[in-house]
Amino acid sequence: MHPFERRVLPALASFNELGDISRETGLKEVEVMRALQWLANKKLIVLTSEPKEMAVLDKNGQLYLKKGLPERRFLEALGDKSLPLVKLPEKTGLNKEEVNVSLGLLRSKAAVILLKDKSLRVKLTARGRELLGKELLEEKFLKLPFPIELAALSKEEKLVFQQLRKRKAFVKVDVVKTKRAELTDLGKSLLDFGVRDENIVDAITPEILRTGKWKGKIFRRFDVQINVPKIFAGKKQPYNHFLDWVRQKFIALGFTEMTGPVVETDFWNMDALFMPQFHSARDIHDAYYIIKPKQDKLDEKLVRRVKQTHESGGNTGSTGWGYSFDIQRTHRLLLRTQGTACSARMLASKELKIPGKYFGITRCFRPDVVDATHLADFNQTEGIVIEEGLTFSHLRWLLELFAREFAGAEEVRIVPSYFPFTEPSAELYAKHPELGWVELGGAGIFRPEVVVPLLGKNVPVLAWGLGVDRIAMFRLGIKDIRQLFSQDLNWLREAKVV
Amino acid sequence: MPTISFTPADLYHLIGQRLTEAKLKFLVESVKGELESVLSREITVKLNDTNLPYLWSVEGLARAFRGLLGKKKGIPKVKYVRTKDKVIVDRKLAKIRPYIACFVAKGKKIDDYLLKQIIQLQEKLAENFGRKREKISIGVYPFRKISFPIYYKACKPTSVRFVPLDFQNPLSLKEILAQHPKGKEYGHIISGFKDYPVLMDAKKEVLSLAPVINSSTTGKLEIGDSEIFFDATGTDYDSVQLVANIFAYALADRGFKIYSLVVDYRGKKVQTPSFETRAVKVPFDEIEHMLGIKLSEAKIKLLLGKAGFDYSKKKVVIPSYRQDIMHPVDIVEEIAIAYGYDKLPSIPLETYTVGNTFPIQRFLDNARDLMVGLGYQEALTPLLSNKILLYDKLGVNDFGTIEIKNFMSANYSCVRTWIIPLLIEILSKNKHYDFPQRIFEAGLVTRRTNELVQDEYHLAAASSHATANFTEVRQAVEFLLRMLGLRYEVEEFELGCFVPGRAAEIRIKKQPVAFLGEIHPEVLRGFGLTMPVVAFEINLSALFLQV
Repeated sequence: MHPFERRVLPALASFNELGDISRETGLKEVEVMRALQWLANKKLIVLTSEPKEMAVLDKNGQLYLKKGLPERRFLEALGDKSLPLVKLPEKTGLNKEEVNVSLGLLRSKAAVILLKDKSLRVKLTARGRELLGKELLEEKFLKLPFPIELAALSKEEKLVFQQLRKRKAFVKVDVVKTKRAELTDLGKSLLDFGVRDENIVDAITPEILRTGKWKGKIFRRFDVQINVPKIFAGKKQPYNHFLDWVRQKFIALGFTEMTGPVVETDFWNMDALFMPQFHSARDIHDAYYIIKPKQDKLDEKLVRRVKQTHESGGNTGSTGWGYSFDIQRTHRLLLRTQGTACSARMLASKELKIPGKYFGITRCFRPDVVDATHLADFNQTEGIVIEEGLTFSHLRWLLELFAREFAGAEEVRIVPSYFPFTEPSAELYAKHPELGWVELGGAGIFRPEVVVPLLGKNVPVLAWGLGVDRIAMFRLGIKDIRQLFSQDLNWLREAKVV
Repeated sequence: MPTISFTPADLYHLIGQRLTEAKLKFLVESVKGELESVLSREITVKLNDTNLPYLWSVEGLARAFRGLLGKKKGIPKVKYVRTKDKVIVDRKLAKIRPYIACFVAKGKKIDDYLLKQIIQLQEKLAENFGRKREKISIGVYPFRKISFPIYYKACKPTSVRFVPLDFQNPLSLKEILAQHPKGKEYGHIISGFKDYPVLMDAKKEVLSLAPVINSSTTGKLEIGDSEIFFDATGTDYDSVQLVANIFAYALADRGFKIYSLVVDYRGKKVQTPSFETRAVKVPFDEIEHMLGIKLSEAKIKLLLGKAGFDYSKKKVVIPSYRQDIMHPVDIVEEIAIAYGYDKLPSIPLETYTVGNTFPIQRFLDNARDLMVGLGYQEALTPLLSNKILLYDKLGVNDFGTIEIKNFMSANYSCVRTWIIPLLIEILSKNKHYDFPQRIFEAGLVTRRTNELVQDEYHLAAASSHATANFTEVRQAVEFLLRMLGLRYEVEEFELGCFVPGRAAEIRIKKQPVAFLGEIHPEVLRGFGLTMPVVAFEINLSALFLQV
């Protein structure tokens, strides 16, 4: 039991009402209320609440309680003298209205009479003189301990109350709901048993532990079901946390993470991927070009090999695109539009291991209007597997693995597709257990025109890209892609951890 | 990527059989397309292979489907007549728009639907494959109004006048570029030259101003016509030939008879359309090595036929309407598709490889974990931002920003160079939620020093509540640095966004790696914030070099 409860319970033996209990225990009414609520939860008491009519002092009632009633001051001002009516406000210190009211009242009680001389004069009667030395009924009433339940007033008091109600802002009736607490049988027996503070351990304090005072005592039981206030701890951003899982998954599957710069050249972003310079994806509206710097340095030997491949196929066994490759243009700088740029860099890197598996989760940029399905910048998840002897049938297996691991899909469809840098190319559809058929990604075998200039030889490279954002949105239960980057702190705090 | 529409009846008529929707979907996927919609009177298909423009017509699609269904394998035979009628090319066009291919098609009455199909193919080829007419443009004319020889000439902009389509009065070439809607749209392609490319016939009647507009007298194909004159002009010889072949095949599939013409380049004569096939060796080895299956020669021959190729003496014969076969791997894909991707086996990867992330990613993740331990909520914002937010609102000078030339929205017109402003912006949008609010983000920023562009990983955090102060933020930074095992010095620091005297810089071996402080009330006012904010930003890339 809480200390409040322990103080309130004994008081209930003699009192039932909030105000009384508060007075008896010295606790604030809110504290008593909490204790009563807890006791009721434990079925030690029954709480009832009923409306009651209460007599209370109004504004003037309270005022005259302090200053004295106007009729008392009227009586005292007169004394044995008779005074002209016009002089009364000055002599009594009352205003005109108060004088009139007092005069009326005292006349009705036959305590004063009006004398008609040259002017009107007022004089006490014998009854008036008697009243001068006696407490008026009204005065006695005002001194009662308000608020008082109407029903608890005596007959005489009720009469006075009715009289006072006629006067301006003296008394009024308030309807209040009062809580009543009645002990249950269980409560009574507990009270008989005795509730003693010294036998109960409340908070476990260092002092109690040091002194061992807890020994032989009872630990107060807590109401473990009662609501506690929310707290917000630190946590990962929900979408980032999902991407952490994706990264972990790839590493578990034997993939190594690769990366690349946000500001890319035409060369790595497109030319090295055998996308001809006149390809429609190269038009200005499909990539963000930057103002400064305009160009970047490149390995010119590599550029020459790519140029030859575009123009005539070089030593790749291809006819090439048959156009004149623009060297200036390949040095231009833009914001990376596809993660495949990182795969191209990996193929040309000294770090590349054959056999090897690589993945990247990279921020990419395309000029789109931001809406429910487009972001200003977005993540692409893609990668490569490089090894002698790999075939399109290995790619099929890999795509099935991805569908199972990332979308929980047992069924997949692999259909023909077109990417400028892969041949054969495929699109992966996976049957998600809840979403049904979803387009999960694109894949293919890198063209020799991509691999040979970068690597110096032709080794099979399986390349793929996965649309993991759709899975993230499903898992986080969101429909609008913009929410992946939500700035709503409440969402960030409340989003479930997936 | 082009989208085309046609009636189901027309498609089934051209194929020679009806199709279920499932079968239709499968066939469309086999040619790398998407079935956008199937209505009773209209089918809409999106074609994703920008390198196979012959498929951008119902005739081309039907031809591919006939092969895949096994109804008509190999390259279809075209009925055509080689004529000696001439199209004479002006040498002066060599630097302007040098190439042209023409033919005449006769023998079918053009109705409303067929006219729409012809115009659809013309538009898709010129807009998508022809890169908005720059590389290729196409004209179709009623042949009855034209007489040979035809001249493809370079003309002075003011020397020739004709009535363009949809206009009433004759205009000079220059006036057409200035006044006609098509002139305004496509005029830029030729306006830089002294002469413009004009097609006219033996009677000096103008057919068209390439690549802009046809003449309203000789250049308007109408319902009821049954003889078509076709021209394609452009800057790339092969593409011009390809487009003429594609168009000729489409009309031949409809039952037109094709009359090829002689294009006379004054020294070199070319018969167009060429209908020329080319042959390459069947890549038997690559087929096996790339697909992981063994196929007999007979099977390969069958599959090539289904894919629309002829087979002759271990060679693949490629039709004139295809230019996409650049490498043996392209043949391999054709075989794989004709075989059926769904029938290919699934062969597991068996070589063991060790997975790993790049070193700084783990460092970044450690820092994120520590921030979470400090009770900070992680946030994620776009890398694209704007200079008003990054600098003006913070009272800070440009750190060296990568700005976008062709941005779509001013809000996203540059790459972020630091993260604190984005965190303060988040706080400004969440004033009604419980405090304390502690948020952080770890991610990329990009900065430019002269010609050098560098990506850096930064970690920034902001804490906002009634008693947020310098001590709190310095405690957080020092906790991070200690846990990452770093020795550092704390120096006085000035930056516009911080209260003077309440900001510090962290240095490791004299190198600045982080700054922190109390955000200036003036900055908070700018964001409408009425709760104190303290913040720090650490250059994790610089830290990583010190670990």
